Amino acid sequence: MKQKKIDFDYKYGFAVKNKNVYVAEKGLDEYKIREISSLKNEPKWMLEKRLKAYSYFLQKPMPTWGADLSKIDFDQITYFIRSTEKQVQNWEDLPVEIRETYDRIGVPEAEKKFLAGVSAQYESEVVYERVQETLEKQGVIFCDMDTAVKKYPHIVREYFGTLIPASDNKFAALNTSVWSGGSFVYVPKGVKTTLPLQAYFRMNAQAFGQFERTLIIADEDSYVHYIEGCTAPIYTTDSLHAAVVEIFVKQGARVRYTTVQNWSKNVYNLVTKRAKAEKNAVMEWVDCNLGSQITMKYPAVYLTGEGARGEVLSIALAGNGQVQDAGAKMIHFAPKTTSRVVSKSISKEGGRTSYRGLVQVMPGAVDSSVYVSCDALLLDENSRSDTYPTMRIKNNQTNIQHEATVEKIGEEKLLYLMSRGLSKADAETAFVNGFIEPIVKEIPLEYSIELNRLIRLEMEGSVG
Amino acid sequence: MKPELITVRKPNTSLNFTKEGLYVVFFENISGAISCTLSHEKAKVYMFGLYDINGTSSYSLKTEQLHKAAGAFSQLAITCVARDSASLAFSGLIRIEKGAQQSHAYQKNQNLILSPNAFVDTRPMLEIEANEVFCTHGSTTGTINREHVLYLMTRGVSQIEAEKAYVDGFIQQLYNQMKQLGIEL
Repeated sequence: MKQKKIDFDYKYGFAVKNKNVYVAEKGLDEYKIREISSLKNEPKWMLEKRLKAYSYFLQKPMPTWGADLSKIDFDQITYFIRSTEKQVQNWEDLPVEIRETYDRIGVPEAEKKFLAGVSAQYESEVVYERVQETLEKQGVIFCDMDTAVKKYPHIVREYFGTLIPASDNKFAALNTSVWSGGSFVYVPKGVKTTLPLQAYFRMNAQAFGQFERTLIIADEDSYVHYIEGCTAPIYTTDSLHAAVVEIFVKQGARVRYTTVQNWSKNVYNLVTKRAKAEKNAVMEWVDCNLGSQITMKYPAVYLTGEGARGEVLSIALAGNGQVQDAGAKMIHFAPKTTSRVVSKSISKEGGRTSYRGLVQVMPGAVDSSVYVSCDALLLDENSRSDTYPTMRIKNNQTNIQHEATVEKIGEEKLLYLMSRGLSKADAETAFVNGFIEPIVKEIPLEYSIELNRLIRLEMEGSVG
Repeated sequence: MKPELITVRKPNTSLNFTKEGLYVVFFENISGAISCTLSHEKAKVYMFGLYDINGTSSYSLKTEQLHKAAGAFSQLAITCVARDSASLAFSGLIRIEKGAQQSHAYQKNQNLILSPNAFVDTRPMLEIEANEVFCTHGSTTGTINREHVLYLMTRGVSQIEAEKAYVDGFIQQLYNQMKQLGIEL
């Protein structure tokens, strides 16, 4: 089917009028943090964590490397919005306006098909959430973080902020002090969830930063696949999205975390993601960054148990005015640990992609192996691609491989496809989709279809 | 074409290649920055760095392959054998400026670590601002292949000799590449 050329930047370029019940004033101070915490009826320990984190936030400098973040004005951001008073269980009970927004991005469609449970995040709080009976029967907990703090305080308290402490970096500190929403997942011992858990994240208020907090705990020998997909409508002022995701993969367990990030092109997406893999555990990050103005995201795996394995598969697409500064961190602490990073990036129309990664093999991590591969595709002469991998190997019983390539679309290949009757846009699309195919095939079907379609739209925009 | 050999002995050396030619830049166990700027489109620059380091010595090397002219060629090969508690911190940048189309820039870093206390920190970097380029970098770090040594030992070579042969062969690769370009040291 021939698709029309698009002349707007963003596919879901609409915004539904907001009807917010409670909107905090712009800017941040200690009083506001107390207010957020009391509005959420949080226990005292959480308030203390927030306040402590706020002091770190004030102390920590902005990162001096990577993309230019000087335009972020922390005083112009709303740190908390509550969109509906109560959480609802049924789709029909959602306010019409919110339902309308979701209908347009196809949440009910997707849900009908195969969703295990949708935890739809509208603005800063989860307003709609349904956990399917099968999940409950298996003992899997899948709820939003605010509920988890109230219902499962012992679990949350044990893990919250232990892998990514508030002092980790400025944005982790900010998130810890003002976090709202996000998902909490606990998979009991030996339970293998057959359907992926999904959460839709949305921002829908101008200049409103979203600070969701996700915590996933996969107990011994369990398996879970969590999918995070983002779409957001267009606004005129810059929005900040600073999420924190912590994942604990216990002995023999396996967790896959898939992200399809498609924020509108004025969002600063500054995310801290980290997982800890214990003995024989497997942690896989599948990360697709298509949207946002600036993304800085380096999913990490701490391989702390013998035989643990970490993987990061990532795609980054940067168009006009976009900076995708993404990568991976693999820290090998234990013997026989393995890691693999495969990164594919595409720059076009002056966009800039960077791979920034760290592989560190500690002295005790004997017989470990590391594989890092970064491929970049540059579609025109105004675009830019950078690769900054760092490898610190403090151990001689390891096997490290790293390779990177930069290329353009081969004229000959294009010509060949065009001689077979494909238009130039179609031929380029075929080329780009082929380039990212090794990663796309790891993503659930409807996401990969959407991804291929988005790339097609992007490509047509660039040529037509 | 007869190659011109440039042996770098001083740290913080900047070389600017403004004429057509085949150049071989060689350096050995040296710390500091070595920068090669390719300003002529027919400049072809091969850089070889050999680090055979031991004791508690610590080296820090920073290289730059800066492509300003379209169509130029550069290749960097860093070979490192680290023994005892020696360490090498290597950071190599390939930078292709806007307009330097049809550039070829390659980088290869191979490290052989012979002791648990030896340490190599590798940072190969690419900054590409032109789209019709051919750039790759590769880095490997490992230790002596036990199977290869075992094979030699079954042929009656002692372990020490077998390991020595392995390391010598690893270093010899670099000299062989230079030999192919017509340089014999």
